[in-house]
Amino acid sequence: MSERRKWHEGLRVTLWTLIVPPAIWAGHFLLSYLWAAISCAKAGRFATFPTLFVIGTALALTLIALSGWVAWVKARMPGDPPPHEESNEIDRLRFLAKSTLLLAGLSFVGVLFTALPVVFLRDCL
Amino acid sequence: MRRERGDAGAMRNPWLWMTILLGLGACNAEQSTLHVFGAEAREVRRMAGILATGAILIVAIMAALYVRAVRAPEGALSHQGGMRLVLWLGAIGPALILTALLLYALPAMRPRTAGPDDLVVRVDGEQFWWRIAYRPAGAGGELRSANEVRIPVGRPVVFELTAQDVIHSFWIPGLAGKMDMIPGRINRLVVRAEKPGRFRGVCAEFCGLSHALMAFDVIVMEGPAFDAWLDRSRGGSKGARASMGAALFDAQGCGGCHAVRGTPYDATIGPDLSRFGERRTLGAGILPPTLDNIAAFIRAPQAAKPGARMPAYPQLSVGQARAIALYLKGLQ
Amino acid sequence: MSLHDQDDPALRAAQEERLRAVWAPPKGLFLRWTDTNNNRVGVWYVLTAFGFMLFAGVLALIMRTQLAVPDNDLVGAGTFNQLFTLHGSMMMFLFAVPMFEAVSIILLPQLLGARDLPFPRLSAFGYWSFLIGGLFVSGSIFFNAAPDGGWFMYPPLTTRTDLSGLGADIWMLGLSFIEVSSVAAAVELIVGVLKCRPPGMRLNLMPLYAWYILVVAVMILFAFPPLIAGDILFEMERLLGWPFFDANRGGDPLLWQHLFWIFGHPEVYIIFLPSIALFAMLVPTFAQRHLLGYPWIVLAAVGTAFLSFGLWVHHMFTTGLPKISLAFFSAASEAVVIPTGVQIFVFLATLWAGRVTWSTPLLFATGSLAIFVIGGLTGVMVAVAPFDWQAHDSYFIVAHLHYVLIGGTLMPLFAGLYYYWPLVTGKKLSDRFGRTAFWMLFVGANLTFFPMHLSGLMGMPRRVFTYPAELGLGGLNLASTLGAWLFAAGVAVICMDICLSPRRAKAPRNPWNAGTLEWLAHPDDEDWGIRSVPLIESRYPIWDQPDFMKKVDEGRFFLPDAEEGRRETIVTTVLDARPLAVIRLATPSVKPMLTAIALGGVFILTTYHLFWAALVCGVATLVCALWWLWTGTAEIPEKPCKPIGHGLELPLYLSGPAAPGWWAMFITMMADATAFSGLVFGYFFFWTRHADFPPQAMADGPGVAWPMVALAVGVSGWLLTLGAREVHARGRVMMARSLLCLAILLSLAGIGAGLAGPWTSDMDPQAHSYPAIVWTLAIWASAHAGVGAIMQGYALARSFAGRMDPTHDADLRNVTLYMHFHALTAIVTYATIGLFPEVA
Repeated sequence: MSERRKWHEGLRVTLWTLIVPPAIWAGHFLLSYLWAAISCAKAGRFATFPTLFVIGTALALTLIALSGWVAWVKARMPGDPPPHEESNEIDRLRFLAKSTLLLAGLSFVGVLFTALPVVFLRDCL
Repeated sequence: MRRERGDAGAMRNPWLWMTILLGLGACNAEQSTLHVFGAEAREVRRMAGILATGAILIVAIMAALYVRAVRAPEGALSHQGGMRLVLWLGAIGPALILTALLLYALPAMRPRTAGPDDLVVRVDGEQFWWRIAYRPAGAGGELRSANEVRIPVGRPVVFELTAQDVIHSFWIPGLAGKMDMIPGRINRLVVRAEKPGRFRGVCAEFCGLSHALMAFDVIVMEGPAFDAWLDRSRGGSKGARASMGAALFDAQGCGGCHAVRGTPYDATIGPDLSRFGERRTLGAGILPPTLDNIAAFIRAPQAAKPGARMPAYPQLSVGQARAIALYLKGLQ
Repeated sequence: MSLHDQDDPALRAAQEERLRAVWAPPKGLFLRWTDTNNNRVGVWYVLTAFGFMLFAGVLALIMRTQLAVPDNDLVGAGTFNQLFTLHGSMMMFLFAVPMFEAVSIILLPQLLGARDLPFPRLSAFGYWSFLIGGLFVSGSIFFNAAPDGGWFMYPPLTTRTDLSGLGADIWMLGLSFIEVSSVAAAVELIVGVLKCRPPGMRLNLMPLYAWYILVVAVMILFAFPPLIAGDILFEMERLLGWPFFDANRGGDPLLWQHLFWIFGHPEVYIIFLPSIALFAMLVPTFAQRHLLGYPWIVLAAVGTAFLSFGLWVHHMFTTGLPKISLAFFSAASEAVVIPTGVQIFVFLATLWAGRVTWSTPLLFATGSLAIFVIGGLTGVMVAVAPFDWQAHDSYFIVAHLHYVLIGGTLMPLFAGLYYYWPLVTGKKLSDRFGRTAFWMLFVGANLTFFPMHLSGLMGMPRRVFTYPAELGLGGLNLASTLGAWLFAAGVAVICMDICLSPRRAKAPRNPWNAGTLEWLAHPDDEDWGIRSVPLIESRYPIWDQPDFMKKVDEGRFFLPDAEEGRRETIVTTVLDARPLAVIRLATPSVKPMLTAIALGGVFILTTYHLFWAALVCGVATLVCALWWLWTGTAEIPEKPCKPIGHGLELPLYLSGPAAPGWWAMFITMMADATAFSGLVFGYFFFWTRHADFPPQAMADGPGVAWPMVALAVGVSGWLLTLGAREVHARGRVMMARSLLCLAILLSLAGIGAGLAGPWTSDMDPQAHSYPAIVWTLAIWASAHAGVGAIMQGYALARSFAGRMDPTHDADLRNVTLYMHFHALTAIVTYATIGLFPEVA
């Protein structure tokens, strides 16, 4: 949701937005682990079909893709050719956007990796 | 020139060592993940082979690339080219390899399933020995033992693992991966042995002074032989009740801690000695059970095993201790 | 002052004279140790950490000698257990982490063109804490009292006082003390990177070392506090018998393992990333070009930081947790390979694109990369859970972790040593010695650790003081021992090289022809750090900005003078490094040392159960800290602004989010909140462990009433402080003071109300883990209320003493920030202990 606000404010990319994609990964990872651990400990089983997990994963992937897309748009702001290492605001912005984009890519893969175990393991053994 | 040596030397070393050292250490067949007798360990050994081959290939490729990179003249790689290198070889390549690896490894995590009719062996880790209880399905009840695990070949066996004092870990390298024994928790490990023989297991989690001296024998038997052994063992322990050793055993209060089936001694503080005579080792897998060793162990357990809980019996003469040892050797 | 003025040599000489006087180190047998300048404190820090490394290395050598042949009896089991426990603990806590802090304390101001770090006294405090705690822990082995439970200290072996002696307390309390100094360093480094960059050094121009240090320091904030929480529970069990880890009374040994490894795995990356950061500095130098793929490195650093917090359970693969839980961590453990691979390929591409000048540092870097790659790949293997079930706690892991740590921490540090030695001493180390040492280390490391892969797979468990000859492991172990001696000899060659250094001639300035700011350092070093704070327009200003060195040296940039006779540096904005203010830095003082000694007394005396003496030291710590703050911080300047050259005039006072002090408070409180979340995690962990939690017999818990009162009191105290800040900013000082007085009363009431719940319900913390964790949470929140009262009292006193007024209100703003976190703590604590039993 922070993405939307940024979008309305005219797409600002800062040190805080840099960590949005990995933070989404972290949130997704933590909830996946807690969900499995708590249902195994308290109910003895966790899912025959993990609807909630699928929705959560789709949501996480969408948010990461969204922030990656915002970053992609910003990384393509017109300016001098790469590497963006001039001391001006545009280059700083494009650098942060590029880093955010890369982090979004990594986080996307990270969420997919987190989702894989649920495909293969559905019990608490 | 120097740089070439720097790099090629780095990468060639492992190969060299592996060849030399594999030759050096090929003689241990009792306690090795490379010399397997169980289905789980065989699966993991195959996996290890695949992983190690992949790792060696990657090391070789990295070395070749590095040599190439240091030797390349200035500007051999453009900014765009460099970015492509990082993207494809640094990011996308590893991501694909790792995805493939996970697709292979995750299904392999599924544990073997066991039915209600399968043999359950409960093992409690103690400082520094193993309390064993066989719980076969059906009537007959539990059979208690210590420091030696016998299992039938070809049938699933469920180990129920826990500990009373501190954390231990149950590891039979040739049979399956290890599983921790944690106070307050019971962990299950389901295994299937594939060939009969005598093997060895150890404690893999640091558990105190004599952690290094906490092992056990594993004896894999053919199914019918195992069943017969189980039946036989349930009866009273055969031993020379009227011997001097038996009298000393009684007088010294050994029965206050140790149980011998078929006698009044049924304490559970120390290891069950009912079938001590058939064990291959003394002191949880550390010494051959000769009369001398047993006698020395009785007189000063801490000398053989620092931190052992058994009190020392220095008041016994060597002869008396040997008499007890003789009695113990007769327990079958 | 214009450029023109700086053309006058007489003026420049006068400026230099003033700077020299201001930055002159204290002299005298004792006073010299009160220095706070980063150059000196950093060097002490490095030398101390290096000394601990040598000591821990000798311990390892004794172990390897014991294991050279089967059934050896050089040392007994008891000694051996102390040796490996101390070796691991010292390498981690007394070498790897402090070494990175030490190197950063030396390098960071240079890299950022700052005169010093923002809180020089905090660095000194960190150093003294480290020294005292380190000597306490490592010295214990001479009294046969060293910890012997493994560096992971798993309970119940370590919490049962009948199974483990004083060593466990020494580990827990001594290292807790060092964790405090690590958090202090993290505060210093984060604020340094974010706020003390030179004008123009936007985020995209920051040296990569600074990026890494920023990331690592943030990781410390989230990694160390869970361990501190674990330490608290651990000592409560050892000293007071509260059963957090005792399964017979509702505890669980696995809680410790979770808390320990939530710290323990990020820790690996905390010590790995700074070493890679050294590569990121030296690779461009020896490729003689800009690093290719700067954003990729940022991706890798930030990505690794996040992923590293999702790996901890891979140290617990054999604890019997559900396979699905293990699988999440297995997947994340594989994912973390991606950013690591990216970093290696960035270096590869840079070398490929550049013109490589071969040198000793690059040789070390190459060797460490080779070793690290092998360690990384065995890491991929053990991240596969079924393989780990075999390899876990066997010598395979010993091999893996040493490949990672030698390739990823130790050898890069040696590369850094050869690279940065000229920066610190003005002299180069010998290439001949360096190359010899390198080959001894490289061959030694491989000879020691490669055979261990095999001995592990052949069934050799870790942490054994001997092994039977029948296992056929003798040959492999002998090879490892020979390798270890060779490795040690290599380290000895390096030590010899260092010892010979004072006899060598000075090297030219910037001897490697590097492009980054730290190489402005002159061989005949001045204590002022940098002659004038430059305007940065490039990532490699020495290469790219014309006449850069000359302009800096001639004071043609900012702040070339110290007119008021004060130590000063420039504070800039986080994103774009726009100049914000000039801050006055603290001067040498004995206060940091005294505070460290007093705090050390608390930890050390508690170890020996001298609780009253420890309490006295606790009070002394508080007094020292307040004295330090009162006299050394948030000083109202004699004039609002000062010119720094080029027509720029900057304020001399900052408060609120622009000020370094506010950030320091924010960062400290993040660490505090993380430790707190570790305790809350404990509460809910016990809930998952028990079918009925709270247990039937104590189902009422602390009741609902008192916790709700405590919650209301906590929130009101926060609102009052907030109100005090607002009315104070509007100039209504008397009203602000009255509100603060009320707030103090509420904070004090908060202590009572917080403890009243468990107290009036007669909860016996020794009976079961439930009352124990409820008491712990209540005590935590109440203690924070107490600290809140002290802080509010401090702000009030500052106001009465005329050291705080509506335009200079940093103290009040920082106290309010503390109260934000305190309100959060109170809400979570009392909602958990008061309301959760109602819904559970």
